Amino acid sequence: MAALASSSSSSSLLFTTPPSKLPSPSSLCPFPRLSLPISSFLSSPLSISPSSLPYPTTSTRCFASFTVRAAAAADKKKVLIVNTNSGGHAVIGFYFAKELLGSGHEVTVMTVGDEGSDKMKKPPFNRLSEITSAGGKTLWGDPANVGNVVAGTSFDVVLDNNGKDLDTVRPVVDWAKSSGVKQLLFISSAGIYKPTDEPPHVEGDVVKADAGHVGVEKYIAEVFISWAIFRPQYMIGSGNNKDCEEWFFDRIVRNRPVPIPGSGMQLTNIAHVRDLSSMLTLAVEKPEAASSNIFNCVSDHAVTLDGMARLCAEAAGLPVEIVHYDPKAVGIDAKKAFPFRNMHFYAEPRAAKDILGWEGTTNLPEDLKERFEEYVKVGRDKKPMKFEIDDKILEALKVPVAV
Amino acid sequence: MTLILVQVSVTNSQPQAKAKRHGKGGGVAAGNEAASHLPPLFLPLPLQWHQTLPNPGLSLSLSHHISLLKNASLGGLNLTRNYKRKVYQPKGALHVAASSTKKILIMGGTRFIGVFLSRLLVKEGHQVTLFTRGKAPVTQQLPGESDSDYSDFKSKILHLKGDRQDFEFVKSSLSAEGFDVVYDINGREAVEVEPILDALPNLQQFIYCSSAGVYLKSDILPHCEVDAVDPKSRHKGKLNTESLLEKRGVNWTSLRPVYIYGPLNYNPVEEWFFHRLKAGRPIPIPNSGVQTTQLGHVKDLATAFVRVLGNEKASKQVFNISGEKYVTFDGLAKACAKAGGFPEPEIVHYNPKELDFGKKKAFPFRDQHFFASVEKAKHVLGLKPEFDLVEGLTDSYNLDFGRGTFRKEADFSTDDMILNKSFALQS
Repeated sequence: MAALASSSSSSSLLFTTPPSKLPSPSSLCPFPRLSLPISSFLSSPLSISPSSLPYPTTSTRCFASFTVRAAAAADKKKVLIVNTNSGGHAVIGFYFAKELLGSGHEVTVMTVGDEGSDKMKKPPFNRLSEITSAGGKTLWGDPANVGNVVAGTSFDVVLDNNGKDLDTVRPVVDWAKSSGVKQLLFISSAGIYKPTDEPPHVEGDVVKADAGHVGVEKYIAEVFISWAIFRPQYMIGSGNNKDCEEWFFDRIVRNRPVPIPGSGMQLTNIAHVRDLSSMLTLAVEKPEAASSNIFNCVSDHAVTLDGMARLCAEAAGLPVEIVHYDPKAVGIDAKKAFPFRNMHFYAEPRAAKDILGWEGTTNLPEDLKERFEEYVKVGRDKKPMKFEIDDKILEALKVPVAV
Repeated sequence: MTLILVQVSVTNSQPQAKAKRHGKGGGVAAGNEAASHLPPLFLPLPLQWHQTLPNPGLSLSLSHHISLLKNASLGGLNLTRNYKRKVYQPKGALHVAASSTKKILIMGGTRFIGVFLSRLLVKEGHQVTLFTRGKAPVTQQLPGESDSDYSDFKSKILHLKGDRQDFEFVKSSLSAEGFDVVYDINGREAVEVEPILDALPNLQQFIYCSSAGVYLKSDILPHCEVDAVDPKSRHKGKLNTESLLEKRGVNWTSLRPVYIYGPLNYNPVEEWFFHRLKAGRPIPIPNSGVQTTQLGHVKDLATAFVRVLGNEKASKQVFNISGEKYVTFDGLAKACAKAGGFPEPEIVHYNPKELDFGKKKAFPFRDQHFFASVEKAKHVLGLKPEFDLVEGLTDSYNLDFGRGTFRKEADFSTDDMILNKSFALQS
């Protein structure tokens, strides 16, 4: 490369590059191109310094165009996603990986556990081929051993979408720091906010000091320079590992009452996972802005529990009968009976809007239609199901409360 | 057209408030400690502004003189001399910074919002006229307001006495006076606004106090400015007014508050809770108590009204104005207790369907979720409310109820109906 750089001819040197996000050469330099084998020149494009070239007028522009391309190439990030193998958050890593790949970044998804485990038969894991076919890499392993699992590959960004406590996340954070990762992202939880009489939960509000995620958040802030923390709530989207809207559809299509604890007026936040993915992607693409910030990773609207039942019914084009009950009076554990918290649980994504310029796109009426179409397509509406807890609740409600 | 750019620094005096300072960029004239966290407003003054003046009895600013002198070819010098003779100069120190003084009319202004708004505008150096029937005194000294501040305000505020339902009078009196800006704080129906627009064809801005009550009830919240409105709502007059403003092509701005609170509130919002807390009575709240609403302090609303004055970003825009956080009914009872230094209240929930209150209101809020997003005002206007809920309720308590003043006598008759019924159920 040095030989080329010291050429004293005034011919322009223009290196052809793969057609990605780079400005088209012809628009910057009208001179005939010198087509050269790419590999020898692009292995380290940033090593060419402008000062080593002579500066005849027109070729300066062409050289300038080369550095512009080099800068664009540097915007591509190498991202590692350490992804949980189950639960409501699993789908976040799946969407995020696909969005990053679509934007031209390099992505490795490391799923916790074994490739052969039964957990991998459930979505989104049974669809990881969508990641590999888009150019992403998939690995399996123990986060405590992440350095070995990724076998010495270096990354610019690491997202831990797995751990709920410091013991699980610390090895990932420590390895990331020691291996030169520039930006650390962590999926925490809006569940750590202390319940309040004044919703919504906004970034900066008091959190439960003893929550596992809080310990992780604190550690990351101490150890990393460029970090961002995301606190999600509930999400819907194809490939979800945990039931959300399906719980309502199951009852609505079978013409069963929908038992909702309490008044049904509790506010919650149900986002389409694409909103969470877009927020994470913005953080990767605007690391300075995102740095040292906590973001509520939620949609920008709340919905009541009753409202969610109604919207699911509308999406299905079917009626719905909502029945309210007091879990204590009926003698059941609301956590087992109902997929959402029996209280106001409502955060707003104010930091993402203010700091990242993020915009929400979740539109529950529309999104639930698409969800219902998939629900029917996979045949879940015909699947035989038992509703033991529901039956217990409905039974209890028919019995008058003893005075 | 030559544009004269004038820097207006907006000061916001809130003598009692424990204000939160939010530094916003730009040089702000920070004279006193209570002065602003508000950015300077740059207002282009078109040269032909003076030609729009319907009559010479107007307050003129320094830059106005400059514009007239520049226009010597139009006989500007003569004009200057004429204007100088009849110029209304505000008494007391001329507010040098606010050189784009406007002649402002407030419809209303002697009861609640306008009381605070008019003071802010007068302090800015504008000429402010209140249009009221004169049933309430035109001015009253606010609790906590110094004698000198009050007498200054009293000496400057103008009054136009009339009934706004007398549309002919509205049209003729406004046309005779001529105003640059109208704040309509008490309008309810579109028909009330027509004579104002008819009277003032060169109106620079019509600023309307609408209501978040226009939003269509929804399972998805908060209400945003782009959301569906309810043409059948109790507040449809406000909606019709907004439509009229849009149709007439006037430069309008509409603010939609949720529940307003603060000292001098004539709607029994905080007062309703304070009466019960003071009497040591339980607070009866319908249904679950998790219904969520939102309160906005009247001083923050007044600030918002000033912020949109002459603000291009507010032109033909609607803004929700209220507190940054929402609150449950149960939470509001507790917040009022904190504000007044009362112990945590006993809350009694009841099913309103099981009782017949007749014409009486058993609870001052709509029995539903009702809150709106104030993000648009935050992002577009840089507006950040000064008061959080407990601070604001404390301000209201200290300046009003806590001093022994209130608008409505306590009436616990519906409370007793509720309490007797639940007592009967328990025994």
